Amino acid sequence: MSVLDELVAGAVEDAAAREKVTPLEELKEAVVAAPAPIDAMAWLRKADGIPVIAEIKRASPSKGHLSDIPDPAALAREYERGGASAISVLTEGRRFLGSLDDFDKVREAVHIPVLRKDFIVTDYQVWEARAHGADLVLLIVAALDDATLKRLLDLAHDLGMTVLVETHTREEIGRARAAGARVIGINARNLKDLRVDVNKYAELAADLPDDVVKVAESGVFGAVEVEDYGRAGADAVLVGEGVATADDHELAVERLVKAGKRVKASETTPLSTHHGPYWGQFGGRYVPEALITALDELERVYSEAKADPEFTKELVTLNQRYVGRPSPLTEAPRFAERIAEKVGITPRVFLKREDLNHTGAHKINNALGQALLVKRMGKTRVIAETGAGQHGVATATVCAMLGLKCRIYMGQIDARRQALNVARMRMLGAEVVEVTLGDKILKDAINEALRDWVTNVKDTHYLLGTVAGPHPFPEMVRDFQKVIGEEAKQQLRDWYGIDHPDAVCACVGGGSNAIGVMNAFLDDERVNLYGYEAGGNGPESGKHAIRFAPGTGQLGMFQGAKSYLLETDEGQTLDTYSISAGLDYASVGPEHAWLKDIGRVNYSWATDEEAMNAFRDLSQTEGIIPAIESSHAVAGAYKAAADLKAKGYEHPVMIINISGRGDKDMATAGKWFGYLTDEQSKALEVTGAHGDTVA
Amino acid sequence: MTNTATTPSGQPLGISHKPSRTAAMFDELDKANRPAFIGYLPYGFPDPEVSLKAFKTLVDHGVNAVEIGLPYSDPVMDGPVIQAASQIALNHGESIHGVFRAVETVANAGGVPLIMSYWNLIYHYGVERFARDFENAGGAGLITPDLIPDEAGEWIEASDRHGLDRIFLVSPDSAPERLAVVSKAARGFVYAASRMGVTGERKTITDSPEALVERTRKAGASRVCVGIGVSTAEQAAKVGAYADGVIVGSALVHQLLGETGRKALDEAEGLRNLAAKADELAQGVASAR
Repeated sequence: MSVLDELVAGAVEDAAAREKVTPLEELKEAVVAAPAPIDAMAWLRKADGIPVIAEIKRASPSKGHLSDIPDPAALAREYERGGASAISVLTEGRRFLGSLDDFDKVREAVHIPVLRKDFIVTDYQVWEARAHGADLVLLIVAALDDATLKRLLDLAHDLGMTVLVETHTREEIGRARAAGARVIGINARNLKDLRVDVNKYAELAADLPDDVVKVAESGVFGAVEVEDYGRAGADAVLVGEGVATADDHELAVERLVKAGKRVKASETTPLSTHHGPYWGQFGGRYVPEALITALDELERVYSEAKADPEFTKELVTLNQRYVGRPSPLTEAPRFAERIAEKVGITPRVFLKREDLNHTGAHKINNALGQALLVKRMGKTRVIAETGAGQHGVATATVCAMLGLKCRIYMGQIDARRQALNVARMRMLGAEVVEVTLGDKILKDAINEALRDWVTNVKDTHYLLGTVAGPHPFPEMVRDFQKVIGEEAKQQLRDWYGIDHPDAVCACVGGGSNAIGVMNAFLDDERVNLYGYEAGGNGPESGKHAIRFAPGTGQLGMFQGAKSYLLETDEGQTLDTYSISAGLDYASVGPEHAWLKDIGRVNYSWATDEEAMNAFRDLSQTEGIIPAIESSHAVAGAYKAAADLKAKGYEHPVMIINISGRGDKDMATAGKWFGYLTDEQSKALEVTGAHGDTVA
Repeated sequence: MTNTATTPSGQPLGISHKPSRTAAMFDELDKANRPAFIGYLPYGFPDPEVSLKAFKTLVDHGVNAVEIGLPYSDPVMDGPVIQAASQIALNHGESIHGVFRAVETVANAGGVPLIMSYWNLIYHYGVERFARDFENAGGAGLITPDLIPDEAGEWIEASDRHGLDRIFLVSPDSAPERLAVVSKAARGFVYAASRMGVTGERKTITDSPEALVERTRKAGASRVCVGIGVSTAEQAAKVGAYADGVIVGSALVHQLLGETGRKALDEAEGLRNLAAKADELAQGVASAR
């Protein structure tokens, strides 16, 4: 006899004994008198959360005694206060130590739906459940033949109850569906180690239509399982031991409810207006508590500013009159020919000219927006990190314009390969601190900026330059950069009469220019989106900054956010390498990580060599010298064209985001292409301007 | 291999109702009306073997609970001294796998072993796996400088299953609602940063930590210890008068670090310095009340 057979036999015997005391006819009268059942369907599916069915459970055959639960009513009230959507009461007495008396007490105590959980195989037990005020009953497919399952299901439905139909296999799910189940409980425990197997759950739940409510029924213990099941598509979860044995039952339920809300909030669409802190499983605020006050303040001031027409007006005006927006969308026919020669399709190529902004890059869009917020917050000092120097220059510029004190942190290696940008920042009145700690590159500059911020947070704003870092930075920086794509979309229509592009290409370091140019197209499935990381010497070389290719980045928390990260087996950050300082970063903005996981953006990389060839190609076909960062997008355009060709496009319309201009890179390019005499090259080497002379 | 994440019958481990080790330590110290002396050193500094001796030295010289730091490549809450020590440890092959030996060393010496780690190291090792190995080694609790309770779902679950303390931080400008969030999620004690900023020694300690300790207790924390900047016996005595524990880090690390701050001292000299400094601080703590 299996455990299940034994439990069923016992339950039947006990029910028969009760029937002797209370015959069915008497129960039916009680049902008429009972208060109407609550429509539990409405409680088991929510747009903004994952409903929790919390169970009153004293023991189980497999785990033995769990908890005494002297006062089930009090426990149920704690569950309800914690935010439970329904209470499950085990009424089986032999092995689970439950009773209908427990059920009655719970029914009295709460206003949410109550589930009678027992081994129900007879009509009598169904009537009994309703007579005691149950809104939900459990039926176990494995314990019932098809005819009985259907009969009991129909009876329960006729009595106005919702039925949670428990299944373990695809075959059982099929039988449940055939019988007319509307709420299906899926038991996805991996029988080998008894852990929740989300893959098994996803596999089992795969064919269920949307109108069936899916309840993850086993192995839910804490927030981790709620998140896993929620991301796998479960509508609700049932949890027993994890809440019944907790020290603080209310808090235990509350944590599960919060985890469910977080999952739902992290996956909202449209993509272009998605809010942080979470982008799928990515993002968050992995920072010291000491920064939370400042981040909360920033979030509050930013959302007030967004709603304030005066703020928008000032930003738009300065964008126009100071930055020089809109930046043009330039057609690049001669470069398009190069693509045609190489790839064999004939695209029309348009360049979004962020290189023509004041200070020569897209970075000013964000620096200006945040600097206006600094004024609004009443802070007087700004700190920022910079890699290539573009964000540092942009920050120093807006600080000069608005009269803010400014300090820029820059890794020593970057400072040397961008010596002229260091001079520019100093010219603009900023203090430039060369960071000699760690690898002396962008990430180390960010570490130092974070330390400064933790120390001086009262009067200081950290003007982070990209869509990375803790919430609200990824969302806020996106909002300040999305003007790039909005303009491009409009210009394509107004200037060129083209409704939409077929492809958008951008380079991805932290990812702000890419998000900026892509955001307006994220919800338009007709537009193929391509992001190019810094390939350095190639993914196998170990010298690169590719986070998304297989075998490169792993999930991790870095500088405030969860994302993909280049790290060692020990979780230490790996050294990264790229010829472009601006893409030389170990992690990537959390929105990109999400867009990768959901397959919305195609991510690939361009090596140093490919980028430098593209740098030359664009310079010589169009007379536009792109930044080496942007050259990765230009190099990527060849790859994107090949992909578009494979997809059947013959004349695709492509936008490439030229995020910055390449004047700053002439020392590197001069050396790369051999345009400098040995003497000139040596002179630059002394200052480290090539970037490869500092260990 | 037995899977300690399950019961003998193979079910996932439930909530451990093992009492908090640090709570027991505070209760014991209460009897003598003394605050706890909590000392920090990075594991693996200057190398794994010497660091084990250093941890034992701390316990032998009056440290009640040892905060075993896990060196990290990007320690944003740490000042120059701990950054340098961490870098030296990493250069000498520090590995998270070895840290459990340090935990055992502290436990065997009679101290309460705590680990202080930036979150990515634990996340990467595997949160449940870390909790299991830490518990098996005799660990008491984990201090998480860059993990706030709002992001700690997985750690709360794992620490509940393994009976480990969760030590979150608060800082002088933390709003009352943040203090409440931290106090509610904490187990063992709350770590109050004495000032805004990163770790490092200071000549003077302001009065702000006393107010913070009071506010944190009001927000629901049963035990509050103060760290960051405490480096002398006098400061330890001052802080110990109102806090449940005094946490010292950089001043101890400093004893093992040469003048330049780039290289560790000779082993014997370093351990001698460390013992003397621990004695001095322990006296300060003992005379606090």
